[in-house]
Amino acid sequence: MAASMRPLLRRAIRYSHRNISVASAGVAGRSGCCRGPSTCRCFSDVAGDRSTHFGFETVPESEKAKKVYKVFENVAQKYDTMNDAMSLGIHRLWKDILLHVMHPQPGAQLLDVAGGTGDIAFRFLDYVRAQQERQKRRAARSMQTPSWADISNSYSSGDAVGPQESRAVVCDINKEMLRVGKQKADSMGISAGLSWVTGDAEELPFDDDLFDVYTIAFGIRNVTHIDQALQEALRVLKPGGRFMCLEFSKVTNPVLSRLYDEYSFKMIPVLGEVIAGDWKSYQYLVESIRKFPDQEEFQHMIEDAGFYCVKYHNFTGGVVALHSGFKL
Amino acid sequence: MAALLRGLRAGRALRGLSRVVGAPAAATPHSGLRGFHRAALRLQDESKSDKPPSSSSSSYHEHYQAHHEQDGAEAPRGDPTSDPAAEEASRPNTSFQDQGGEQDEEYETEEQLQARVLAAALDFVPLHGWSTEAIAAAAETLGLSSASTGMFDNGAGDLVLHFIAQCNSQLTEILAEQHNQVQLGQAEAKRTADFLRDAVETRLRMHIPYIQSWPQAMSILLLPHNIPDGLKHLSNLVDDMWYYAGDRSTDMNWYTKRAALTGIYNTTELVMLQDSSPDFQDTWNFLDNRIQDVVNMAATAKQAQATGETVVQGLMGAAVTLKNLTGLNQRR
Repeated sequence: MAASMRPLLRRAIRYSHRNISVASAGVAGRSGCCRGPSTCRCFSDVAGDRSTHFGFETVPESEKAKKVYKVFENVAQKYDTMNDAMSLGIHRLWKDILLHVMHPQPGAQLLDVAGGTGDIAFRFLDYVRAQQERQKRRAARSMQTPSWADISNSYSSGDAVGPQESRAVVCDINKEMLRVGKQKADSMGISAGLSWVTGDAEELPFDDDLFDVYTIAFGIRNVTHIDQALQEALRVLKPGGRFMCLEFSKVTNPVLSRLYDEYSFKMIPVLGEVIAGDWKSYQYLVESIRKFPDQEEFQHMIEDAGFYCVKYHNFTGGVVALHSGFKL
Repeated sequence: MAALLRGLRAGRALRGLSRVVGAPAAATPHSGLRGFHRAALRLQDESKSDKPPSSSSSSYHEHYQAHHEQDGAEAPRGDPTSDPAAEEASRPNTSFQDQGGEQDEEYETEEQLQARVLAAALDFVPLHGWSTEAIAAAAETLGLSSASTGMFDNGAGDLVLHFIAQCNSQLTEILAEQHNQVQLGQAEAKRTADFLRDAVETRLRMHIPYIQSWPQAMSILLLPHNIPDGLKHLSNLVDDMWYYAGDRSTDMNWYTKRAALTGIYNTTELVMLQDSSPDFQDTWNFLDNRIQDVVNMAATAKQAQATGETVVQGLMGAAVTLKNLTGLNQRR
């Protein structure tokens, strides 16, 4: 075991030395298309093709979506395990807090974009079910001695389900992630009120004014055109609907920031290689976090898209930020 | 922030229609009319649009405005149950929604929308209590999704504070109106005790529609994060009552008077919670007695002070007489 680990670690250290330098974007010859950007850049300026960032690399916009797809296709099977390992399980707390801040009312319709393995959707359904139980219990307590009118009413309303049942739709561009999510749902026995849809966040396959809550957890930094994704979110939300985005963000405290950077660039790709056998994907992950705009800038982007009452909360010192806006 | 004060347009005709069609809004979430709404907001009249909303955050603003705008205060400002449906139906439905159109632009800030939602939520309090469910139900009647309750970080606390601010501003208007009447000579000035008694009764009568759930509201106000706001509203209320009763004291009396009235108001409120007499007659009797107590105490204090002075003078006289008798006063 130790013997096989040593060459692994040696390769790991070699990679880490190359990739720590922030300034040298795209120098590491990790992926084949790295040679591409330099030539593509010349052609792209001439041809008018725009380029964007893929981690610290620069790639043509048309390519980014494909590369992101590859990344998540590779990591899908071990996605949840890696999440637990990288964040030491804290990601569960972040997602729980997201649900508590959301405080969905019974009957709410959720759209979870880039929902992949369905963490948010499962929590949403649990929360709403618990709320409905609580409401039923409260109603039952107040009706300990029902009158004849109440009893006859309860007989006649047996067919009516009552207010609309809450539903969660998980939408992801990556079929592998959805497949893993469906397996999880089957193993947990959750099937009612849950649907899995393949779709692109920049072009959602839904009608206008459908959903009460739109969430995107740790997905929006992978989207090529964030403003398009925000506009799509605005479109599919009902008036009064809420947009919530959980995403890695800038750490404000300098000491914590230093520790976080060290941890991100030194530990996470190593964990990726050891647990999931994929160094490059997790290198992309930590780089894409650095490329994402900070809390204030993202708040302005959300406001520009047309949302109101936009606020953000920092979790774990700014490692993760929850942005929330309303379609009014 | 200027960015926050944005224009929100909504089609009048379609709103009017949707109000008729989609009144049980929760049951018709897919009504096609909803799709036309760029923002399912009811637009305010021009007379309302420049009035500050009666939300807890602006209660200080209103408190001082009340003193300055006694004649300018229009009734709808503090109107709690202004039915949006009624005011919609009364306006002529002339324009269709036009996102790029310039005609009939009416704007509403986020605070005004929040105030409207809270005002509508008061109707649902008897059913759902002071809770986010009431706010969610109100949001749905206004055409907003139930997720918009997220706008209110404090949830039920926001609702209770809004109601209290509204009641206080209503009381201030009534007191200002009475003051005007007295100034114009159309009514007689009341004695202080009677004035305060009537003011407290008027204010407490505003709780009657919600008296079943008022204990819940009081307990919400006692939550630690709500205590500062609750105390602020209470102190403003008591200050207003004394101001219109004619108090202009600038010494210790300012504090003692307000402390006394706060005590009277709080205890009467508590008595009202468990009062089952017709029209809360027991409560008003209790209020009478408490006010009488305070009046008596004030009179007694004055008497005691006068008596004390007299006694001291008498004692001084007796001492001088004694000294004279014993010959100590002679100067040899």
